Amino acid sequence: MDLFLQTLLNGLLIGGVIATFTIGFQLAFGVLHVIDFAVGGWVVLGGYLGYYMGVGLGVDGFLAIPVAFVLFGAIGYLIGPILYNVRNSRTARPELMALALTFGLFTLLRGGMLTAWGFNTHSVPTVLSGESLAVGPVTVPLIRVAAAVFAIAIAGGLFLFLYRTRYGLAIRATAENRQNAALMGVNIRRLSATVYGLYAGITAMAGVLMGAIFSVNPEVGLRYTLFAFFVAVLAGLGSVGGALVAALLLGVIEAFVATYIGSSYSLLAIFGTLFLVLLVSPHGILRHGL
Amino acid sequence: MKPSWAGLLLLIAVIVVLALLPMLVNNYWLRIATGALMWAGLACSWNMLGGYAGYINFGHSAFFGLGAYVTALLMGDRLAWPFFATLPAGIVVTALFAIIIGAPTLRLRGAYFAIATWAFAEVLIQFASVMDFTGGIGGIGLPPFLDERFFYFAMFGAAALTYLITWALFERSRFGLKVKALRDHEPAAEAIGINTSLVKLQTFVLSAVTASVFGAIFAYWVTFINPKSVFGGDITDQMVVMVLLGGLGSLWGPALGGVALFVVNRIIWMYWGDTAFYIAILGAAIVLVVLFLPNGIAGLFSRRVAVSGAVLDKAVGNLVGGGPGRPS
Repeated sequence: MDLFLQTLLNGLLIGGVIATFTIGFQLAFGVLHVIDFAVGGWVVLGGYLGYYMGVGLGVDGFLAIPVAFVLFGAIGYLIGPILYNVRNSRTARPELMALALTFGLFTLLRGGMLTAWGFNTHSVPTVLSGESLAVGPVTVPLIRVAAAVFAIAIAGGLFLFLYRTRYGLAIRATAENRQNAALMGVNIRRLSATVYGLYAGITAMAGVLMGAIFSVNPEVGLRYTLFAFFVAVLAGLGSVGGALVAALLLGVIEAFVATYIGSSYSLLAIFGTLFLVLLVSPHGILRHGL
Repeated sequence: MKPSWAGLLLLIAVIVVLALLPMLVNNYWLRIATGALMWAGLACSWNMLGGYAGYINFGHSAFFGLGAYVTALLMGDRLAWPFFATLPAGIVVTALFAIIIGAPTLRLRGAYFAIATWAFAEVLIQFASVMDFTGGIGGIGLPPFLDERFFYFAMFGAAALTYLITWALFERSRFGLKVKALRDHEPAAEAIGINTSLVKLQTFVLSAVTASVFGAIFAYWVTFINPKSVFGGDITDQMVVMVLLGGLGSLWGPALGGVALFVVNRIIWMYWGDTAFYIAILGAAIVLVVLFLPNGIAGLFSRRVAVSGAVLDKAVGNLVGGGPGRPS
């Protein structure tokens, strides 16, 4: 029973961190209509930033979080318009071309990181690494708690931004119907740049946390892209509220498979679930929420 | 496209040169030529669905790997089937998997299909890595057969057949028209009575089956396979780059792109060995082609200007009353 509680808690805490970047992913899909294969690449880049700031500069890994947001937010802001142009280009199949572009970007990031940093695994050092907290029968690593708190704060901030500001209203309007939003005077091109920047920044922040909880190497990007897809399929593409629930579910599934069956089966289990969901309820279990 | 005499002569010249190649070059270059033919064929097989039907398959390596593993398992010590008997078995297994994957996901928009195929290939890597009968991560060996000419002609035959099928089915038949119609506007294609789900599934199965044949020959050729070497995402990446580079949905584009990229691959391999840098180059190539050469090399030679998506949407939208804009 203790192991059960422990696993459940671990899963929920990790699910919280997964939720942060999958919410961004859903938002980017809603506005840009692009499935971003590069999502795992941003997570890993964030992790490496944390590692190099922690080991190279000797500062705490948590300080890398705001830096990651600004740095990758800026990079995303520059990439956003390119993606927008391809998605709305006058070639015969812009949807396909945009998909290929993010796939290429992901491959480029993965290959570039492997070339620059090799296959070795690193971990982001923080003040909380190695500390843990005992709650009754359950011990919780403090870093996971901190990460989950951080994730909740980021997600909360994002929801406030989306539902309580005029800019958030413009984003939601665009996600719902871009033609009508454009008629209301929303500059969709610039909005797309902002949303992609916001998403890349949030994803990189989540990457720092993931790097502190687990570890980071260029190949784990695939795993995070898969996570984002899993959540997107479960929640329905573009659904932000559903992403939160689906991400928690994913965290729990992963934790239970890793604890009770074996961690080499966890990806298999996630893929299996993903596939079953696509079979049974192709448009997502949790439906729309934005 | 009317067949021009110059084009026909070029085609005959290429076939003659390819048929005589084993007598002209040594084994080293013959191996490279075999690889180039394999990739040209694989690119064509990916292009059937990606180029003609407009559905991107990010897990095509799954079918290449299935063909390779079926052949490897059947030719192993316990069963010891002859090579040519394993081909039909691989085709049947691949077709079954393609139907299982394709039937539910091809009904959805392309994005879900891309995710599902990508996930499927990763599942197979994981599955082959943890199972005992596939030899786990260590992989599985085949009885060695060291006749370079046999493999050259096997790949040549498979590639020629793939292009012939593509030409006959997608360029010269009603089936090809249906496929192109659903690519250009699916609701309109449905409205004129095309069973789009069935046509897409048929195209997908065909594309998967051809990839599996190349996988089978590849496994026998290299005599040793492991999950990464036949299911790996890099294999799909290469096919995507080759087709994009050559020209999506053109008959000869994949051959051009396939041979061009394979030569680049060998040059990098010769100078730097098996390097991660190649993955970065592949990625950069995809990005650059999408941004600057969306119609590929074939687009440079084609005088027909690709019909603009927006114009097409508007025209068809007016016809079927769905209004402008594609459903997304």
